Amino acid sequence: MRVLALEVDRLLRGDTPFLRTAADRHASPMTLVQACLALGAVYGLAMGLYGATNRGAEGLLQLVASTAKVPLLFLATLLVTFPSLYVFSALARSTLAVTATLRLLLAAVTINLAVLASFAPITAFFTLSTTSHPFMVLLSVLFLGVAGLIGLAFVTKCLGIALPARAPAEPAAGPTPTHTPSEGATPIPTAPTRTPPAPDPARRVFAAWIVIYGVVGAQMGWILRPFVGNPELPFEWFRSRDSNFFAGVFTLIGRLFQ
Amino acid sequence: MNALTALLRDPAESQAHRASHRALLALTVAAAFTYGAFMGARDGRWLQALYSGTKVPLLLAVATLLCLPSLFVANAALGLRADFRRALYGVAMSQGSVAVTLASLAPVTQVSYLSVRAYGFALLLNGLMFALASLVGQVVLARHYRPLIARNPRHRFMLRGWLLLYWGVAIQAAWMLRPFIGAARLPTRFLRAASWDNAYVEIGSRLWVWLTGEW
Repeated sequence: MRVLALEVDRLLRGDTPFLRTAADRHASPMTLVQACLALGAVYGLAMGLYGATNRGAEGLLQLVASTAKVPLLFLATLLVTFPSLYVFSALARSTLAVTATLRLLLAAVTINLAVLASFAPITAFFTLSTTSHPFMVLLSVLFLGVAGLIGLAFVTKCLGIALPARAPAEPAAGPTPTHTPSEGATPIPTAPTRTPPAPDPARRVFAAWIVIYGVVGAQMGWILRPFVGNPELPFEWFRSRDSNFFAGVFTLIGRLFQ
Repeated sequence: MNALTALLRDPAESQAHRASHRALLALTVAAAFTYGAFMGARDGRWLQALYSGTKVPLLLAVATLLCLPSLFVANAALGLRADFRRALYGVAMSQGSVAVTLASLAPVTQVSYLSVRAYGFALLLNGLMFALASLVGQVVLARHYRPLIARNPRHRFMLRGWLLLYWGVAIQAAWMLRPFIGAARLPTRFLRAASWDNAYVEIGSRLWVWLTGEW
């Protein structure tokens, strides 16, 4: 556990040498998966607390289910989206190898879950002070969104280190004079125009992938629900797959104040 | 006294006055207790004064402690870990300034209680005092964040994020810990029987009813 805590602390400090050297022994994929499981379980526990306090014996099952499902949500989403990301980034000439790409994304998920775990006390506090199921679900959606944005900032920072913008091959010269200056006239010096460094195409692939990851993650959350557990419905490990995440959120907003 | 000076002066102008943690904590608790006691001591309800005196420091502590893990992790994730101690000091100073401002307003609250006896007025008055103290707290926090933002503009995002999160939690904590004033027709209690509900859902429901006329 101490090793995991130290590894998460290193990541949070922005200490990511694995982006430059594959030989870095820190942040191995297995260590990062373990950190994801532990941090996800912390937030899952806080989410499941609502079911545990508003149901009878079934509440404990909800607690167990949510604790297991939050890390599963993130890791399953990564599993689904990683192959396509790697293929497209390789096609876009990314210099990151498979393991380095996997470590980068696992590190981002770890950061995402660390932020989420830090919201666990607030979620638990609201759980103990509210009976509204829609409120608890929407609060968790909000926290998941904020944690996702911070994870996104981390990926962007890491990509800046791993895939620096490419400098142009040679500076473009200024416009070539179309006429020869007459003798005695002072030629006006034209400074070479500086072309800004071109962003690595692989970074665009990562940017598109982040959107795909978010959409797949939202739908994966819908498949794996319930995480909070509506006290008016019986406990189920998984609900039926009708509707979708976005329709579900709009329905909950409508139910919140009624 | 050094802690009080450090709280009230702009940190850019009073580098010599840096409050010790203990002095700052003691001053914050004492000031928050003072305002709480004055707030509850309406119509000679001394038990309510004791309860409210306990609950105001509790409110500040609960809201701050619940949000601190998020502040730490978000600071670290945004690469601001090295400045966390300064950010934490700023947060502590802003909490202290809220408590001291409230304590300084306590005599005004008490005199107002003597002149207007309506419960609704007391609610409104205390709401106003807390709003004023919160504004002071934000100014103090912004002063402490100024050098941090100059060093790294990401601190501006952290400052806004902290305020949003802190007030989100503090409003709910205040709702849970009510009553702070105590209605004359209700018996004096530490917490309301129905205190375990949600401030936002309650306010939203009332607004919904007001806007649509539907139950």
